[in-house]
Amino acid sequence: MSEKILGKCRRFLGSLAHMRKLQMQVIKADEKSVTVVLPVQDQLLSPELDTYMHGGVLTTLVDTATSLSTIPALKEYELCPTLDLRIDHMSAPVTSQPMYAHAECYRVTRNVLFTRATVYQENPSKPVAYAISTFMRPGAGNTDLAFKALVDGVEGTI
Amino acid sequence: MELLQKRVNQAHASGDYQPVIDLIPYAGVLGVQCERFGEEMIFRLPRNLDNIGNPTIPAIHGGVIASFMELTAAFQLTLQLEHPALPKIIDFSVDYMRAGLERDTFAMCTVERQGRRVANCSIIAWQERKSQPIASARGHFLLDSFSSLT
Repeated sequence: MSEKILGKCRRFLGSLAHMRKLQMQVIKADEKSVTVVLPVQDQLLSPELDTYMHGGVLTTLVDTATSLSTIPALKEYELCPTLDLRIDHMSAPVTSQPMYAHAECYRVTRNVLFTRATVYQENPSKPVAYAISTFMRPGAGNTDLAFKALVDGVEGTI
Repeated sequence: MELLQKRVNQAHASGDYQPVIDLIPYAGVLGVQCERFGEEMIFRLPRNLDNIGNPTIPAIHGGVIASFMELTAAFQLTLQLEHPALPKIIDFSVDYMRAGLERDTFAMCTVERQGRRVANCSIIAWQERKSQPIASARGHFLLDSFSSLT
């Protein structure tokens, strides 16, 4: 089951241009949660500053991780737009280490999905940020069929 | 931070804000630009296929829109501070109102209150017209460069 979820998450992430550009990867996905990594990379390094904080890239990582956490929460894939996103920053992350976002969808209703995430670097028990994000369900049949097939990995579409 | 102060002063004098924006690598990855109109600064996120997050509409990635708005607030504060310093973000909250389509996006930040240590910002982002924003956000930034969040 986890393999299937991991496959869905990876295909979804791989289909997004911005994620490919940032080399973001799903490193773990199961029925409950998803973990995404942002690797250390030259394009995000500044000779003057050792922090992602002002770069806003943490926000992109969190949005991606919480969005991915909606995949194991739904039986059938639905492309859910974000309603809102809030991030509390505990400390400044460093650019010399990869950044991880662990996200889970903790409540599913007919129309809305509630998710939360923690962002950490070396030490998972000392997060650099906490986040919550809410997604709207488009409803059955309202997700582009070709895209759903791509995420589901239906033979012949990838 | 001398470099920052120098670049900010030069930018105010020349009207070219790109050297300040270039200090933040991710702003360059996204392609953020800035223009000054009198006392107002408008930030632009030019149409860029690399920023797409929903290939079916297609629409700009929600995280990209949020990051762009966060950068807008950080730059606005930096540029209006008496002694420029990059503010530290404390919290940030975005409401998405419309899909950001594959076209140029604009953002403006209003500093609602600037205290000694904390600034309270609200930001809106739009595409076709400002009265129909694609997202609105608010955030708090720590201004005192000597204090630490840790």
